[in-house]
Amino acid sequence: MGEVNLEDVTKRYDDVVAVDAMNLDIRDGEFLTLVGPSGCGKSTTLEMIAGLTTPSDGTITIAGRDVTNLPPKDRGIAMVFQNIALFPHMDVYDNISFGLRLRDYPTDEIDERVERAAEVVQLEGMLDRMPDEMSGGQRQRVAIARAIVRQPEVFLMDEPLANLDAKLRVHMRTELQRLHKELDTTIIYVTHDQAEAMTMSDRIAIIDGGELQQVDPPLTCYNEPNNRFVGGFIGSPSMNFIDAEVDATGLRTESFDVALDPEAAGLSPGDHVSLGVRPEDVYLTEHSGDVDNPSQPIDLVTDVLEPMGDQIFIYLREPGAESSGMDADADQLLMSVAPDTDIGEDEPVEVVIDRDRLHVFDGEGDAVLHGLTAKRREVER
Amino acid sequence: MGTATPDESEREPAYERAAQKAIRDPEIAYRFAFYMVTAFFLVTTLFPFYWLLVLAVTPNDAIANMGILPKFITANGIDPSLFNPEVFLTVFEVVPFHTYVLNSLVLALMTTVIVLVIASLAGYVFGRLTFPGRGPLMLLILAISYFPPAAFLLPLFRLFTGNVDIFGLSSPTIFNTPWSMVLPFSALFLPLSIFILTTFYGQIPDGLEDAARIEGTTRLGALFRVIIPLSAPGVATAGVLTFISVYNEFFFSFLMSDGQVPRLLTNFFANQNHWSPIVKGILGYQGQYAQFYNLMAAASIVGVLPVVILVVIAQEKIVSGLTAGALKE
Repeated sequence: MGEVNLEDVTKRYDDVVAVDAMNLDIRDGEFLTLVGPSGCGKSTTLEMIAGLTTPSDGTITIAGRDVTNLPPKDRGIAMVFQNIALFPHMDVYDNISFGLRLRDYPTDEIDERVERAAEVVQLEGMLDRMPDEMSGGQRQRVAIARAIVRQPEVFLMDEPLANLDAKLRVHMRTELQRLHKELDTTIIYVTHDQAEAMTMSDRIAIIDGGELQQVDPPLTCYNEPNNRFVGGFIGSPSMNFIDAEVDATGLRTESFDVALDPEAAGLSPGDHVSLGVRPEDVYLTEHSGDVDNPSQPIDLVTDVLEPMGDQIFIYLREPGAESSGMDADADQLLMSVAPDTDIGEDEPVEVVIDRDRLHVFDGEGDAVLHGLTAKRREVER
Repeated sequence: MGTATPDESEREPAYERAAQKAIRDPEIAYRFAFYMVTAFFLVTTLFPFYWLLVLAVTPNDAIANMGILPKFITANGIDPSLFNPEVFLTVFEVVPFHTYVLNSLVLALMTTVIVLVIASLAGYVFGRLTFPGRGPLMLLILAISYFPPAAFLLPLFRLFTGNVDIFGLSSPTIFNTPWSMVLPFSALFLPLSIFILTTFYGQIPDGLEDAARIEGTTRLGALFRVIIPLSAPGVATAGVLTFISVYNEFFFSFLMSDGQVPRLLTNFFANQNHWSPIVKGILGYQGQYAQFYNLMAAASIVGVLPVVILVVIAQEKIVSGLTAGALKE
């Protein structure tokens, strides 16, 4: 049915490689999100699947059919655009029925299908409005109705929620998930917002610099990032990275040591690695009762506090260091604590790190270990 | 001036007083300049029409020593023997002038259709695609429109009268058919339309074309179903400008037909049907021994009317097309 396969798909513009030999198998009925920073090639990938851009190399198959050189109209796909792209000179009915009318469906069937699509996106009674008489959310729903009315095998969505305001975006997010359940069609979704990727997808494909970094279910990407980039990209606020050196008994950083048998981890003394710690895996020592394998206590000083309501983010610095504000590049450790924690700025604190949840990345940034204890998950190589 | 007494200032010449008034209040000077310029343009554009009207209603044998006022206005009031409004009917009796007008309208319509179709395709390519050599090519097309038509005349005349051999076959004789005029008109007026439509089509957001192609159109389908409807003011501007230019054209209209009385719309290819446009109709009142200036003037006024009507109807679109063009997504 709606499976999509990319085989060595490459897109070059002059001497820039936008997408580099991408291999991706998307299953029928799957909600797969392409996520990555701006300019990473995710939109180009989607455009190649849609047929709006021709790949320089490689093969794209949709539902078992090689579509690499087919025009968009013959690929059995529908697409929702970031800028919505409703035809401004047509009313809602004409917009939704555009594709059906082009394919010469009988009028009765067009009417019926448009009615049904309008029902799904809750636009009943608005079919004779013009796009400029509608709100952003309504327009986006018309665009979605235009996509579903043709009952395509694959939906492509290019940041469809990016132009909506924050509240509407969260609402439309749940609507899209409901829609996916209802239609049970393959959806390929592009976003740079990792919250959207985490909440909606069956699997996430993380792309950076035109290369696929990891394709896994959201929680796997979160808990077992393939490399430093994925670790830093997924999760908000992002993972702390601390440079460390391997010695005979563990990992040595500027401010603390972590015990580890390097042999068992496949590391050798003298290697330079970086440690990845998520903010929620750093604990104040007095709150670390539930942590099975805490690291040694580390003495630090609180710098800036960011109370979010449900938690407080605390930037920590070394006791001797100057306050550097919230400069992300500074040598700081970010932690999150419960909102009722009694803590102020410039206070000395003692923290521990959950060693089960430490990530070790080698010099190239590839993951070596997730967790430093017996519970560690070996990285498949 | 400070020492001048009121008596002295009263004796100053009028222009000096006016100048001083204008210095105190520059608005007066600006308004004066505005009226002067407006009057200049109105006189230079409207006087010829007034003069045509005067000539037309004056009987032909009275046309001599014309003053600025029509001859029927005499010192003793109006002289009806010198006022001849029936001339506007006579023009159609002497020469079947309506057939010439109809020919001109058909020529203009044919050219407009050809120009709009070709310029739409070219405008799409220049406005929406990037390819090497786009800028120079556009420049070349625009440059061609600046060539004097006289440069093309001789070769085209030989070609259209069947005097050019191509691989042993002589070229088809299309002199006196609409094609001998429509083809050079289209070539000459295409560049302007291409230029107008390029700017309009270039402004349509890419997303709309992508959406149309995803929904099931080809690139061409997207052009005709989405891009052209959204560029309606631009298409209207290009169309009306082309139509008027062709209707008003003199050079090829004069040289590519023999000026004999046309047979109405019988055949677009047979050159004995004499596809003579308005110019030839007006010159038809020139006899071997007499010049019917009154009839020529009346015919000229009649010939202008279709364009006046078109401009009045399409004025709004033309203005919005020439000034605006921005489109909200």
